[in-house]
Amino acid sequence: MSAASPAIGRTNLHRFLSGYGQEIVVLMSIVALFVVVGAINPRFLSDNNINSIFAGNAYIAIAAIGMSMIIMAGHIDVSVGALIGVIATIAGSLAVAGYPIWVAWTVPILFSMAVNSGVGALVAYTRIPSIVVTLGMLSILKGGLISATAGAWITDMPAEFMIAQMRPFGIPSAVYFMVGLTIVAALFMRYTDFGRAIYAVGGNMEAARAAGINPERTVVGVFALHGFFAGVAGILFATQLQVIQSTVPPNLELTVITASVIGGVSILGGTGTVIGSTLAAILFACIGSALIFLNVSAYWLRAVLGLMILATVLADMARRRRAK
Amino acid sequence: MTAAKLLRHETILAVLTVIALAVLASLSDKFFTTENLLNQGRLMSEVGLVALAMTFVIVTGGIDLSVGSILGLTAILLGVFWKNLGLPLPMAMLAAVACGTFAGWMNGFIITRFRVPPLIATLATLALYRGLAEGISEARSVRGYPEWFFFFGQGEVLGVPFQVWLLGIATVVAAVILGFTPFGRATYAIGANETAARFSGIRVNATKLWIYTAAGFLSALAAVVFVSRVTTTRSDMGTGLELDVITGVVLGGTSIFGGRGTIIGTVLGLILIQALKNGLSLSGVKGDGTIVVIGLVLIGAILAGALFDKNRGG
Amino acid sequence: MRPDGTADAARGRADTFPIALRSVSKSFAGIKVVTSVSFDMRPGEVHALMGENGAGKSTLIKIMAGLHQADEGEIVVNGKVVKFASPRDAHAAGIATVHQELLLFPELTVAENIFLGQTPKTSLGTVDWQTMRRRARELLDSLDSGDLDIDQKVANLSVGNRQRIEIARALAQDARVLIMDEPTAALAEADVQRLMSIVRNLCARGVAIVYVSHRMPEIFALAHRVTVLRDGHHVATKPVSEVDESQLVSMMVGRAIDRLYPAKQGTDGGVLLELRDVSHRSVVRNISFQVKRGEILGLAGLVGSGRTETALTIFGITPATSGEILIDGKAQTITSPEAARDLGIAYVPEDRGSQGLIKAQSIEDNVALANLKRLMRGFLVDAARVTEEAKNAITRFGIRARGPQQLVRQLSGGNQQKVVLGKWLATNPRILIMDEPTRGIDVGAKAEIHLLMRKLAGEGMAILMISSELPEVLGMSDRVLVMNSGRIVGEFDKQHATAEAVGTVMTKTYSDGEAA
Repeated sequence: MSAASPAIGRTNLHRFLSGYGQEIVVLMSIVALFVVVGAINPRFLSDNNINSIFAGNAYIAIAAIGMSMIIMAGHIDVSVGALIGVIATIAGSLAVAGYPIWVAWTVPILFSMAVNSGVGALVAYTRIPSIVVTLGMLSILKGGLISATAGAWITDMPAEFMIAQMRPFGIPSAVYFMVGLTIVAALFMRYTDFGRAIYAVGGNMEAARAAGINPERTVVGVFALHGFFAGVAGILFATQLQVIQSTVPPNLELTVITASVIGGVSILGGTGTVIGSTLAAILFACIGSALIFLNVSAYWLRAVLGLMILATVLADMARRRRAK
Repeated sequence: MTAAKLLRHETILAVLTVIALAVLASLSDKFFTTENLLNQGRLMSEVGLVALAMTFVIVTGGIDLSVGSILGLTAILLGVFWKNLGLPLPMAMLAAVACGTFAGWMNGFIITRFRVPPLIATLATLALYRGLAEGISEARSVRGYPEWFFFFGQGEVLGVPFQVWLLGIATVVAAVILGFTPFGRATYAIGANETAARFSGIRVNATKLWIYTAAGFLSALAAVVFVSRVTTTRSDMGTGLELDVITGVVLGGTSIFGGRGTIIGTVLGLILIQALKNGLSLSGVKGDGTIVVIGLVLIGAILAGALFDKNRGG
Repeated sequence: MRPDGTADAARGRADTFPIALRSVSKSFAGIKVVTSVSFDMRPGEVHALMGENGAGKSTLIKIMAGLHQADEGEIVVNGKVVKFASPRDAHAAGIATVHQELLLFPELTVAENIFLGQTPKTSLGTVDWQTMRRRARELLDSLDSGDLDIDQKVANLSVGNRQRIEIARALAQDARVLIMDEPTAALAEADVQRLMSIVRNLCARGVAIVYVSHRMPEIFALAHRVTVLRDGHHVATKPVSEVDESQLVSMMVGRAIDRLYPAKQGTDGGVLLELRDVSHRSVVRNISFQVKRGEILGLAGLVGSGRTETALTIFGITPATSGEILIDGKAQTITSPEAARDLGIAYVPEDRGSQGLIKAQSIEDNVALANLKRLMRGFLVDAARVTEEAKNAITRFGIRARGPQQLVRQLSGGNQQKVVLGKWLATNPRILIMDEPTRGIDVGAKAEIHLLMRKLAGEGMAILMISSELPEVLGMSDRVLVMNSGRIVGEFDKQHATAEAVGTVMTKTYSDGEAA
C-alpha cells in the first residue's frame, strides 16, 4: 500500500487538472490579463477599476450560475435577460411605492422562481423544447415589461434599498453575493442528491430514470433554482445604478449563456461547473475593461468574445472526438 | 394523404389567421385598408425573407441564431464599402451581400466540418458577426445614400412595395424548392433521420452547407432592404431578429426537432404575427403589449400541436 | 474447478432459487416469441442461455429484468410469486442486468456511476464522496480491477472497463442474479479473459449469472448448466458436462437446413465485385475477396468481427484507408454512399430503424429517397412517378400496406424490410449487400425475402449477405467467408460449409499475432 501513495498523489493532481481543465484555463487567462494589462497601464489595477469590474458584472455571473445548471440538465433559457429586466422593474416599483425593503427584495425573487417553475413544468411534462418555451417567455416578459411601464424610468429609490451599492468592509456587496452564491452553488452541485441528479439527467436521461431519478421533477427543480439566481441577479441589477431603465438589457441572455459555455459547461449537457461560469463572467468583464485601458476601441469587445466562444467550442469538439 | 397530414397544422393556422384578421378588422376600420395592408407587407419583408431560409434550417433539425448579426454586419459593410472605400454603390451592395452570404457559409462549414451543434455554433457567430459590425463601424452610422437606392426599401412597382414583390418571389421559389425538388426532399429526410438519409445516398453535409449559406444570403438581402427603408446604416440593425424569425417559423408549424414544416406555414405564421402587432396597436393596445400576445400565441400553438400529436398516438 | 457442490445443495429446493420462471409466454403484435418456457437459477451458478437470433433469448431476459411483462406464467423469487412491473421491481428483487448498450453517465466519474441513485450520505444528508470513493475502490478491487481509476470520467474508458463498472454497480445494489447479454461481443481478447475471471469470482460469492453468448469456448469454460431455446420454445436444460459442441448446435438449429431455403438458379457469371487488401483503420484489415454475377456470398462471423464494417467500407460510409475495390475489373474510389449507388451498389443496412428507413415518412417518400435523380421532371420531383414507383414496390414485394402514402412506422418489421429492399432495388443495382436481411422478421416474410434473394441472384445480381444466423448463412450462401477480429479467417464452398466447421472458425479466439 505504501508504494501506491506517490501514484495516488500524482493521480490527484491529474484528476484535478482533468476535472477542472476549463476553469483553470479561464482563471489563468484572468491572471495573465491582469499581469499584462497592469504592466502596460497600471491604472488598470487601481481599486476603482477592479471594483467596477467585479461589482458591475456580478449580476451576470450570478445569472450564469443558474444558466449553467439549466444547460447541464440539457436545456436552455433564452428569456433570462428579459426576466432580469422584469425583476428589476418590479423590485424598483415596490421600493418606490413604499413597501418594506425586504418585500421589495424578496417578492421579485419569488416571482422569478414561480415563472421559471412554470416554464420548467411546460418543458418537462409537455416535452416542448426549452428553446421554444423560453422564446415565447421572452416575448411575454419583454412585451409585458414595456407595456406596463411604457418605458418610464424608475428613480428616487430609497437609499437602503440599493443593496448593490452597499460596501461592507469596503468591498461592494455585489462581490459578496457573487462569491457567496458561487460557493454555495458549487457545494450544492457536488454534495446534494439534487445537484448530482442534474448532472445525471443532462448526461443520460434514460439511465437516470433507471437509477431511480425522476427526470421531470429534476427539470422543474432546476428551472426554479435558475429562477432564484435570475431573481438575485435582477435585484443587483436594479440597485447598482440610481435609475432603473425599465427595458430589457440588450443581448443579456447571450452574454449569460456565453459565460456558462466558456466556463466549461457543455451545451450537450451533463458536464460543467458553476465556478467556471463565474470565472468566465469575470473574464469577460476584464477583457472589456482591458480593451479600454489598452486604448483598443471597446467596439471590438464583442468580436473578441465571439472569437473566444468559437475557439472554446472547437476545442471542446476536438477534445470529445479524441476521447472517442 | 401525407400532404393533407402535413398541412393540418397549416389549416388550423389559416383558420386562426382568418379569425384574427376578422376580429382586428372589426376593431378598427383602419386595419382593412389597402394602404395599411401594403405597409404591413413592407414591414414584414425583412423578417419574412430570413424566415424562408430559417424554415429550411429548422426542418433539417438545426437552428441559426446569427441571422440578425449577419444582417447587421452586411448593413455596416454596405456603408463602409461605399462611403469609406469609395466603391460605387451597386458594387458595394454586391460586395456586402457576398460577405453576408460568406458569413452564412461559414456557419454551415463550422456545423458540418467540425460537427458543432448548430445552436452553439451560431451562438458564437452571433457574437462574432455583431462584434465585427460594431468594431468596423465603431458605432458611426452612415447616411446620405443617393435617392435611387431608396427604391429597394421605399419604392413601389405597380403600386406594391418593391420588397413585397421580392418576398413574394422568394416565397414561391422557396416553397417550390422545399416542396417539389430533390433538394427539398433531402432537407426533410435529414431532419427526420440524418443517418438514414446518408445511408440512402443523400449528400447530407452539402445540403446543410447550402442551407446555411442561403440563410446568410437572404439575411444579407434583408439588410439591403432594411438600410434602404430606414435610409441609414447602424451596427445594431437586426438585433433580436433571430427571435422574431424563429417565432414565425415555429408558429408556422415547423418542428424544432426537424423533419416537418412548410413554407406556407411559415408565411401564415408571419402574417398572423404581423397582423396581431398591427391590429392590436390600431385598436389601442399599447405598443409592446402585442409582443405578449405573440409569445402567448407561440406557446399556445406549440402546446396545442403537442397535445394533438399525443392524442393521435404518434 | 466447478462449484458443483453449491448447485447440488440447492437442487430441488425451489424456495432458494433466486429466480425461477414457470411456463412463461409472451407475444408481440400477435406473434408468439416465447412459448411456455420454464427457467430457473441456482445461487452461484453460471447458467448459459443459448439459441439463434429470434429464438426468444432476449425477450426472456427482458422479462426477468422487468422490461417486459409476461402474458402467461409466473416469476418466482425465493419461493414467492412476484410481478415485475418495471426494472425497479426487478432491482428490488436482486436482479440486475449488464446491458449491451451500457447505461452509464459518460461525464461522471467511475465512483459516481457505480453509486448513482443510492449514494452514501453523511450525517448532514449530503453526498459522502469519501465513503463513496472508498466503497467504489473496494468493490472494484474485489473484482480484480485495482487498476481502474475511480476518479476517471467514464467517457474516457474502454468498453471492457465500462462493463466492469456496470458489474460493480450491480454488486453495489446487492444483486443476487446478474444477467449478462453477449458480454464479450464488443470486447478485446484480454478483456474477455478478465471478464471470465470476474464471472468466476462472482459465482464464488453466490451470485447467479444468466450468461447469454454464442461463443462456445466461453460456454464450456464458464457455465454449469445450459438452456437452449428455439423458435420461442424450451428445447433442453442440461449440465454443460453432459453436452458437446455439436449437440448444442443441433439443438439450436434443430431442423434440416436445406429444405427451407430456395435452391440455386442458373450459373455464376464473371467476377463483378472484387476487394484487394482493403482496410479501414483497424476494424477492417486486409480484406480480399470476389463476388461473381449470380452468386450469393455469405459473410459469417460474430458481432464485432468486422462484417458490417467491411460492408460500410464498400458502400463508402467509412471509405477504405488502403487497398483497392474493383467493379467489373476497374478500380474505383468510393468515398460516399452516393458514389457507391452510382456504381450500382445497394446496401440494405443492419439497423432498419435508424439506418434503413425514415419511419416518420411514407412508403413512397422512403422509396424515392435513393432514386430522386431518376424520378425528376425538369428540376422537380415527379410526384406521380414517385407514387408509381412505390406502387410497383408494393406489388413486386407483396408489401402489406394501405397504400403508398402509409407511414413506414405503422408497418410490421417484415414489411419495413421490404420497403428498404424496394428503395434499393429501384436503383437497379448490380451489387446488393444485405446486412442481417431477416433480423426481427417473422417466418413467413423471412421465406419471401430468401426467395427474392435467390431470384435476384438468378437474374445476374451479385449478392453479399451478412448474417448472424448460421442456418441462414449455410442455407442461402453459395460460398461462405468467415470473419474474425477484422480479418477473413476461413472460406468454405457450399459442400464444406457445415455448422460445426463454420461455427468453430467463427468463435475461435485469435490472438493478434495469429490472425496476422
